[in-house]
Parts: sequence; C-alpha cells; structure tokens
Amino acid sequence: MTRRRRATVCDRLGPGRPIAGDSSWGVSAVPSLFVIRGNDQGTRFELEESLFRIGRDSASSIQVHDTEVSRQHAELRRSDEDFAISDLNSSNGTFVNGRRTQRHLLSSGDQIQVGRTLMLYTGPADASEEDLTKTISITSVEPAEEQSHIIHSVKHEESSEIFGGEAEFPQNPWLARARSNLQVMYRTALAVSHTLDIDQLLHRIMELIFEWVEADRGCIMLVDPQSKALQPKVRRTREGVRSDEKISISKTILDYVTERNEGVLTSDAREDERWNPTGSIVKMGVREAICVPLRGRYDVVGAIYIDTHSSPQEIIRKGGTTKFTEDHLKLMIAIAHQAALAVEDTRYYSAMVQAERLAAVGQTVATLSHHIKNILQGIRGGSYLIEMGLADHDETVIDKGWNIVEKNQKKISDMVMDMLTFSKEREPELTQANINDVVGEVVELMQVRCGELEIDLQWRPADDMPDMVFDPDGLHRAVLNVVTNAVEAIGETEQPGKIDVQSKYLTEKTLVQIVVIDDGPGIPTDQLAQLFSPFASSKKSRGTGLGLPVSQKILNEHGGRITVASAPGRGSRFTLEVPVTLPKSTSQTTAHADTEP
Amino acid sequence: MEGETLDGQPSVLIVDPSEETREVLRTALERRGVRTFLAQGAEPGLKLAQQNHPDLVVLDLELNAGEPEQLAAPFARQSRVEGTSLVMLGTLRRGRGNLPPGEFVPKPYHYGPLIRRIEEILDTGPRDLARSA
Repeated sequence: MTRRRRATVCDRLGPGRPIAGDSSWGVSAVPSLFVIRGNDQGTRFELEESLFRIGRDSASSIQVHDTEVSRQHAELRRSDEDFAISDLNSSNGTFVNGRRTQRHLLSSGDQIQVGRTLMLYTGPADASEEDLTKTISITSVEPAEEQSHIIHSVKHEESSEIFGGEAEFPQNPWLARARSNLQVMYRTALAVSHTLDIDQLLHRIMELIFEWVEADRGCIMLVDPQSKALQPKVRRTREGVRSDEKISISKTILDYVTERNEGVLTSDAREDERWNPTGSIVKMGVREAICVPLRGRYDVVGAIYIDTHSSPQEIIRKGGTTKFTEDHLKLMIAIAHQAALAVEDTRYYSAMVQAERLAAVGQTVATLSHHIKNILQGIRGGSYLIEMGLADHDETVIDKGWNIVEKNQKKISDMVMDMLTFSKEREPELTQANINDVVGEVVELMQVRCGELEIDLQWRPADDMPDMVFDPDGLHRAVLNVVTNAVEAIGETEQPGKIDVQSKYLTEKTLVQIVVIDDGPGIPTDQLAQLFSPFASSKKSRGTGLGLPVSQKILNEHGGRITVASAPGRGSRFTLEVPVTLPKSTSQTTAHADTEP
Repeated sequence: MEGETLDGQPSVLIVDPSEETREVLRTALERRGVRTFLAQGAEPGLKLAQQNHPDLVVLDLELNAGEPEQLAAPFARQSRVEGTSLVMLGTLRRGRGNLPPGEFVPKPYHYGPLIRRIEEILDTGPRDLARSA
C-alpha cells in the first residue's frame, strides 16, 4: 500500500542526515550525534559516512545554527567503529565532557560542546555481542540431580538490615564505624535512585547528611548552566540553631573546591592559639566546615557545604576534640559524587525529554505546514481557473476551478477533523445504528474519486449485520481514512486497481469486522510498525499522516482494533474489529438470525 | 500519463504529482495555444520528454519521497541535450552540489505569474538559465 519514511524537521536529508523526532535514541547500528542543548535541540545526525565537518557554514555536513560556532569548527573522522573529533582551530574551542580538546577519540555517551550547542555521541551497537541465550537457558524442568530449593529469602526492603545490628560488634568501633558509613552510602544510593526532581533529590541528600553528622548548618549549591555561577538550592539548619542566620561561605574555599575538585575540611581556629585560653576560641568558640565538590561524570555541578560551631564550654568539656574528621570529609566526597551523578542524569534526562518534545513539535509543524501549503496551492489553482473562466465567460472553466476549490475545502475540513479527533480525549457518542449503513456511505462517498483513478471499488456487506450501539460518526471517519489510504496508495502507482470492502459479523466472537483489501503496492515490512504512528506517512503530497492513527484511536475507543497484513507488490488488507454491543431493546428479539429463538 | 499532440505549436511537459496542478496548468496553457504533456511521476515524465521533445518542462521538485536534487538531475541532463528550458516548482538546498540550470519557483506560488513566465520563455527562450531560487 503506502511507502513510509521517517519525516524530518529539516526539509532535506543531507550527508549528515539530520533526523528530528526520532525517539529511538537508544543503541543503533549507526553512530549518531543528538543535539540536547542549543538552537538545533532535538536534531539527530546519523553518521553514516567516514568524515563530517561540524560548523556554522551551510556547506558543513553537520550544520549547527549557533553564532558561537566557527564556520568550520571541528571534524569527525571515522576511526575503526567509532569517531575521533578534532578541533579545526575554532575561535571558541571544542569540548568533550567539559574539557577543551584538540583531538579526542569518542566513546558512547560522550558529550561534545561547540559554542552553546551540546551534543551527545552514541557509538554503534556492538555487533560482536555474544548471544547469551545459547549458553544460558531458563528451564521449567530441572534435571533431578540438579534440583534446587529455596533455603532463605529476603525482601527488597529488608536488604538494608545487613548494615544493622551494631550489638554484634560492641568491641570493634572501627568495624561499627565502617558499617555505619556503608549504611550512609547505601541510603544515599537509595535516595538518588528514587527521584527525577533535582530539588527533591538535594533535600533528601541534605537530610541524610544531617542524620549522620553533627552539623549545625548546611547548604547545597549548583552551578547554573547558563551563568556558570554557584547558586544555593537547599539550606538546612539543625534544630535549636538559629535558622535566619546567614551562612557566609568563603569564595576562596568554594573556588578551591570546584576548580581543584577537592573536598576540604576547614576550621577558623588558628593552630597556635587553639589551646591558648586567651585566644579567640575560648571567647568565640570554633567553626569547622566541610566543603566538597559535586563532581559528576562530566563536570563539577556544584558543591555541598556543612559547618558546625563548638562553644568555648564544649571545647573545654571535650578537651579540644574536633567534631568533623577526615573520615567525615571522605564520606562527604563519596555522597557528593553520588548526588552529582544523579543531578547530571536528571538534567540529561530532562534535556532529552525536552529535545524529544521539541523535535516532535517541529515534526508536527513541518508536516502540517506541508499539507496546508498543498491545500493552499490547490485553492490558488481553483481560484485562478475561476478568474480565467469569468474573464472568458467560460462556464466549463469556472466549474473546473470551483471543483478544485471545493475539493481543497474538503481536504482542510478533513484535516481539522482528524486533528481534533487525534488530539482530544473523547468518549465515543454511542447510538443505535447499522454498521453496514456507515460503511456503505463511505463507499458511496469514495466512488467518484475511485472512478477518476480507475479503481474498482467493491462493497460486500454482511447480510446478517444487526443494529449495534456504536459511534457512527467516529466509525465513519475510521473507515473513511482506511479506504482513503487504500485509494491514495493505488493512485500513486498511476495504474488501475481494485479495492474490496467487506463487513462480517462473527457471532461466536460477538465481533464485527470491516475488511478493506487493495491491490496497491503494499507496505514494506520495515514500515509496518510505524504505520499507525502520527506523521509517519510516506505520501508526500497527499496525506496529513494522521489518517490511520485517527482510525486506530477511534477503534480503540470502541474497545476494538485495526490489524494490517501486507505483501509488498501485491497489496494490503486492513481489518477493523469492533466488539458488538447490541441495543438493549432488541438484543433479545431481533439481534441475529442464528440467535433468534 | 496524459498528452496531446498538435503539430506546429509550442509544447510544455508538466511533471507534477498533483492532479489539480496538472489540470490548472493544462487548462491555462491550452487556452494560450500551448500543447501540453502531463505526467504524475518522474519516470513517465522522462519518457514523455524523450518521446515528445517539449520546448519546456515544468517539474515539481516534491515528486517523490527521495532527494529533489536526484530527481532534478536526469531532467536537467535531458534539458541540456534537447536545449529545452526547465522550470522547477519548489527549492533545492544550497551547498548540495551544482544547481541544475533552470528556473526555480518557490512554493506556494501563484499561477498567474507562473503562466506568464512560461509564455515568456516559450516566446523568447530562457533569460537566465543559471538563476536560482
């Protein structure tokens, strides 16, 4: 029937094959670059050739619409299966995973930044992957000698209990501390795995830190992706500590932490005066702080800061022992790394969702614009003929023009109806009717068009079709779209053809089938899966790409479905199945010849 | 594939997937004494061009799902061989190799100016073959 191809936002596919709206951003046989930030967000470039040039220039095989990108910015050259990126002396540099680079061999997951555009590289799928199903099998019957039985089981929520039971090691404080640290890490891992909201995630991390360490105040700062400045996101104070007190963090320390990627433990006590009773400590106490970078896979995304204050009395009582130790610092670094990975993942996921959404919107707009442009062209043609006929006083030409205008008016009305049906959540308007009448109307409506295209449109209604409860307007549209699709598919071949429309009442299944069989070009197997996806149409000048998805939606609303079988070169068969709901008043009396008493 | 032959008249081949566009151009051109050949697709279009040697070819660049550059190439070759003019409806992307010689009319277009330009080319020959959209 119809040939289908992936639609593109860019009007032409070039060597870099920019493809938008492709949601298959998982593993693919072809390496690709997917723009996750920047003006081209949502565009995917499939890297099928060996050499690509990234640049602002329109001759670039990967053209990036970014004023901070040089005309010829960087080059991608195939190196075995993967690609190596080389900077072409660009003004603003090429960055891989946040680091400026001259040449870098890319591996899957690498982030490439040129100007303000951030792209994700996905390498080719590993074709050499071993088929593990050959060496591992899941069997329902085990050999008698290998029969195993369950001797113990642990629920998921009980798994953290491995870190409990401190009483087992009362004599070993080191072991107890190590186990406590492990528990903190386990809980951090749980916290970061349960959310996709960054603010929520940071609050959890802060709570966790406060449960484990005796901190008075704490805050988490994130680097703003645009301004690159650290911005506070979460602040927490221990109960009993003044919460309106401003936390002042030394910029020198923050810069040290984020630039050198090292965690620091600080104290405002000077070594020489620490135990001097006349020193400031005894008067003011000591403020200790830990500041650690949020270092993720690609970059430092922020910092965590906690501090604590010991009063002079506390210091004297404890004999000068500090509250924060190197162990605390090490564990904070580990927690921060976990949190940073989660922040990066969440940002990456959001960017992906946003990019996919933009791509889908772009694709929708491109497809609709194309269709509207064709309708406009038709109306202009019709108007031109009418004008010409009026000038020449030739009614035949006026008629011809008017027909074209009317056809296009119908096209735009169909398109609007399809868009409304597709976009709205709606309940079918159920009423009693006969499905043969509905399908018969569609066939009658399509006869003129079929005559023009030399298509023999046959209609064979089931004799025993009962009245049913369904949405006649909805099913009319569903059948009309399927028949229209068949007509257009045959029309594209420029050959005469045949369409056979049948209705069947399957009493044993309480199901009605409407079958539309055409002898058109058929649908290639690889395009069958996309057939009911919106805007997947290959019919360049005709369909909106919404016809079949709308039919499917209407059938689903009725609890039915559409199936399709196709043999390329021989034709296609669409089967629309509607479950039968007989009208209450007639179901016991006139439903069907076979069921009548 | 449709077409008529009447000797001694200027002739135009219209290759366009839209039946409406073919019909409008045919009606308008025939009223001006131009012989027309019509084709819905590229292949029958090329065949008609080779058989009937039209003076001008109007080619819709959105004929197939494929690249318009690839579509235009054989028509451009045919035009060079025959010395005929080529008017292409739609646009080609810059930087995709050499543009075929001919005129480009971006979509959506108005029929009045298009018909006038076709008449002009038929009367005087192409003014500037290398002009692009």
